[in-house]
Amino acid sequence: MALPSLAIPHRDAGDTNGVYAIEARDLNVYYGNFRAVKDINLKVHRRQITAFIGPSGCGKSTLLRAFNRMNELIPNARASGKVLFQGQNIYDPRVDPVEVRRRIGMVFQKPNPFPKSIYENVAWGARINGYLGNMDALVEQSLRRAALWDEVKDKLHQSGLSLSGGQQQRLCIARAIAVRPEIILMDEPASALDPIATLKIEELMRELSEEYTIIIVTHNMQQAARVSDFTAFLLMDEDRAGVLVEYGPTRQIFTRPKDKRTEDYITGRFG
Amino acid sequence: MPTSTRAHFDKALQRLHESVLQLGSRARRAVANGLAALTDGDAELAREVIATDVEINRLRYDIEFECYSLLATEQPVAGDMRTIVAALTVVGDLERIADHGKKVARTYLRLLTDPRPMDLGEIPTLGALSLSMLDRALAAFATHDVATAEAVCRSDDQADAQYKRTFNAIVAAMVEDPQRISAGTHLLQIAHELERVADRATNVAERVIYTVTGELIELNI
Ligand SMILES: Nc1ncnc2c1ncn2[C@@H]1O[C@H](COP(=O)(O)OP(=O)(O)OP(=O)(O)O)[C@@H](O)[C@H]1O
Ligand SMILES: [Mg+2]
Repeated sequence: MALPSLAIPHRDAGDTNGVYAIEARDLNVYYGNFRAVKDINLKVHRRQITAFIGPSGCGKSTLLRAFNRMNELIPNARASGKVLFQGQNIYDPRVDPVEVRRRIGMVFQKPNPFPKSIYENVAWGARINGYLGNMDALVEQSLRRAALWDEVKDKLHQSGLSLSGGQQQRLCIARAIAVRPEIILMDEPASALDPIATLKIEELMRELSEEYTIIIVTHNMQQAARVSDFTAFLLMDEDRAGVLVEYGPTRQIFTRPKDKRTEDYITGRFG
Repeated sequence: MPTSTRAHFDKALQRLHESVLQLGSRARRAVANGLAALTDGDAELAREVIATDVEINRLRYDIEFECYSLLATEQPVAGDMRTIVAALTVVGDLERIADHGKKVARTYLRLLTDPRPMDLGEIPTLGALSLSMLDRALAAFATHDVATAEAVCRSDDQADAQYKRTFNAIVAAMVEDPQRISAGTHLLQIAHELERVADRATNVAERVIYTVTGELIELNI
């Protein structure tokens, strides 16, 4: 169901109505004159989990933010190339970036609930999007999907900030899914969490991937191996621009990478 | 490996490699000595082969345990993972190869008590072929040599053909003189053990190919 603000057919729809949920084509992202991400071509599989891995500074977060035009909130940042989503280029000037970010949600490294109640944290996005349905039901459903309902159902009106780090992160996931996005982008969503809270988030991602397409940036190689279906490995080239070195099924990348640089990185022998 | 960001792990992998080769050379010796006991009529040597088998088994379990520890603690992936899981299956094959050597020795001792001894026929030829496949498989393992490993896999057909010839000759001799049935049955057993050595050498060679290329193919059909 395409919404009017996004319903601008691109003459080359790519395959983003079928097996792929979103596709980067010749995508470059610049901060001023510096090219942080270079000539990325990548098709992200629908309802699968795709992990971006690579050394610090190689442009993983930059690339991730380019998938919902979040980079535009950073002064000086600009993108060239295309990101195709449901047959449309999200960078088409006629496309509303706010709508893009509703359809393609984001969860950040540090849990960032609003200083409001748990209930309001979840209801907020739906409310500003003019949601007219039963808000209580939406809040409950979102919290259930985020595997948080049982832990908070008796204290929905307490502050979101009163939760533990792992609970706060699940609250942010509940907030992201309450607006019914199609894609969820996650930038190191578990890096601030302990191992058990991390596994809970990973389990949750697996469940969510039955309905959503998920892209996750992670520094934790084992996490990428455990949780993702596809892995993209990025590396800086000689100009320090991030390039895509290898992209494939996670099982192939972690058992039989094709590129020597991928092998060196995932086995921890990166110079 | 460009830099040694994992020097400790690299050393452990190197030690693992050397232990597997050590097990390989002990297994090879068990087969060679079992065969020598038979061809030279050396009962002392046969008993020695049987006695040392327990050490070989222990070495195999030590290596196996080391592999489990590395899997659990180092979370190896890609080439590292392939090296360790290949070592796990290779040590299983090597231990069984030593068992085949032991069974050759034991069967030879039984043969000694037989009142109607029998010519060994093609058995030494089969034994030499199996040993040479094992030697080449171990050399391929030592140096990660895919071409040699592939050649070993290809010679398995030759070993099968040699086994058939050996088998048929023994059966023909038994048919000719039923008094040889007891000795002949023992020789059939020995031929079978030697043919299994060739099979397992092929398995080792397949794991060399897997370790290096990531391709898991059964060449030994
Ligand atoms: N707001 C910004 N302004 C200017 N340059 C930036 C900005 N954000 C990132 N960069 C630069 O872009 C490059 C890629 O940064 P990015 O944050 O995307 O890397 P990353 O792969 O996510 O790294 P990390 O793993 O450390 O999070 C880096 O060289 C970084 O310094
Ligand atoms: Mg980042």
